Amino acid sequence: MISIKNLHASIEDKEILKGIDLEVKAGEVHAIMGPNGSGKSTLASVLAGREDYDITKGSVTFENEDLLELSPEERAQKGIFLAFQYPVEIPGVSTTNFLKTAINQVREARGEKALDAVNFLKLMKEKMKLVDIDQSLLSRSLNEGFSGGEKKRNEIFQMAMLEPKLSILDETDSGLDIDALKIVADGVNKLKTKDTATIVVTHYQRLLDYIVPDYVHVLYKGRIVKSGDKSLALELEEKGYDWIKEEVAAV
Amino acid sequence: MIREETTILDQLTSSFQGNKTQKEALEMLNEIGLPHKKSEAYKFTPITSILKKNIDFSATAENIFDAKKLYEEEGSHLVFINGIFSKDHSKFSNTLKFEVGDVTEGKHDPFSLLNTAYAAEEVRIESGQEAPVYVYHFNSNGMSNPRIKVTIKDGHTFRLVEKLITPEDTKTFTNSYIEFSVGKNAFGYHTKVQNYNDATYSHETVVADVAKDSHFYNNTFSFEGAMVRNNLTINLDAENCEGHMYGLFLLDKKSHVDNNTSVDHMKPNSYSNEMYKGILDEKSTGIFNGKIYVRQDAQKTNAFQSNNNILLSEDATLHTKPQLEIWADDVKCSHGCTSGQLDEDAIFYLRARGINEKNAKAMILKAFALETMGHIKVESIKDEVQQLIDQKLT
Repeated sequence: MISIKNLHASIEDKEILKGIDLEVKAGEVHAIMGPNGSGKSTLASVLAGREDYDITKGSVTFENEDLLELSPEERAQKGIFLAFQYPVEIPGVSTTNFLKTAINQVREARGEKALDAVNFLKLMKEKMKLVDIDQSLLSRSLNEGFSGGEKKRNEIFQMAMLEPKLSILDETDSGLDIDALKIVADGVNKLKTKDTATIVVTHYQRLLDYIVPDYVHVLYKGRIVKSGDKSLALELEEKGYDWIKEEVAAV
Repeated sequence: MIREETTILDQLTSSFQGNKTQKEALEMLNEIGLPHKKSEAYKFTPITSILKKNIDFSATAENIFDAKKLYEEEGSHLVFINGIFSKDHSKFSNTLKFEVGDVTEGKHDPFSLLNTAYAAEEVRIESGQEAPVYVYHFNSNGMSNPRIKVTIKDGHTFRLVEKLITPEDTKTFTNSYIEFSVGKNAFGYHTKVQNYNDATYSHETVVADVAKDSHFYNNTFSFEGAMVRNNLTINLDAENCEGHMYGLFLLDKKSHVDNNTSVDHMKPNSYSNEMYKGILDEKSTGIFNGKIYVRQDAQKTNAFQSNNNILLSEDATLHTKPQLEIWADDVKCSHGCTSGQLDEDAIFYLRARGINEKNAKAMILKAFALETMGHIKVESIKDEVQQLIDQKLT
């Protein structure tokens, strides 16, 4: 589905990603772990199209198309979804209105007919159950005054509404208590199909108890330095990141 | 050296034909003069020199009345042409009490005095009808001095909408003056829509004296104008009364809008709330100056003020100045102002959901602007302002 080759990215002349190679196929869940400052969130942002970063080398193809050529909205329209680490508060824009605009722009780009109010509400009701989100929250200004858990749930709710092919969860677990974590993970699992893929960016192994990855990659100093299956995550949980750092230093 | 503020007055004085009150006003004005370069209250709006350069004070005004879109809404429609009430063009129910009479005293700042001196008449409106009153000013060449005094009687609710229409190809100066006297336990709603053009120069004074248990609301929406100065004063000289001020200045081109507001808490337990927002594009200039006075007697005052601004262009200019003078010791006052560019993170967030850049920006700006629409009690005006905001930001 997505193929990342030798990807280099920098911000203000500081190189953050120093040659990432990653291949994610439909139906797979990949976890990207790593210590703070290793470049995990940069990778997520670059894939979603944040323009603060300069891509200096490498390529990303998404369903055989050059992803790096596309604007953030085109990427979303083609089926990429980023669940933000820090969802932005937007005063005066209700989640409902915002999502209606978003869905209909995505549908328009895909050559589909716009959803009318009735069908939109039907879809919303159905997806609200999935992440146990309350109607009153959705009529409020987008993320404004939401608790951390509410913001993250709202991200997964948006993901459910937009039905992306590739979902990138950027530290969706950080700051969540165990109940909120379960709700979020449960939502993600229910949305998984054989045609969709998920990249889970996380600092902690905890989330991976609930969203079980097929592959685990360790990102360190802008490179993937180790890949394995879910047992790698457990090993990291037990031993921390120091042994990885030592291994890299020894090479 | 001849001071420019005296040359306008000298030019005008030759055609003066006022009553005693007006004569006194003129004398006072001649003494204090129009604002000049060093006048603090007009620091960013050099209105006198701009008027001198652009306005032909000796011009004979034309009638530019245009009935388009008038009279459609339920209510009374009062038409003023070049500052003079026109009964023929107006349409009003006979329940509306009003009279056209001699000019009586007004405020004592320079432009209020100028209006007092040169207004041809004074229109006095009294509350009593439920439907809103629409006031349209059609002003052409030279200077117009429309003058209105509104009395809202005890227990009444009164809604008044004001609009000024000026030609696009002729420079005009409107020096308007409106005074509200709000009785006990009464509600006054005043909405101004300033959708002007680059030949419109105006100085617009709004004064409200609010009595016990009463509320006064002013919403001012400014969209364009060569130089527009709004002087809004609310006097809360009684207990348990409220003053609300909402304003939006959504400007582009070389528009210049200066909002000078002041609320004076004189007695205990009164409340004021002010929210002004600016969106400035191209080479526009926006100014906000908000004064809050809390007198020594005005204990338990609650006063809130905010002014938030978004600059969309590097050539746009903004000046904002909150001014709080508090003499009482048991009060709750807060003020805050922000100005900055559009939030890039917010734009990216919306784009990452599939909304294109243009729509994302419009969505954020519209939401920002629409917050100033609180408490408009006339549906047709609400719709109209919303449409104007949509149009400007799409």
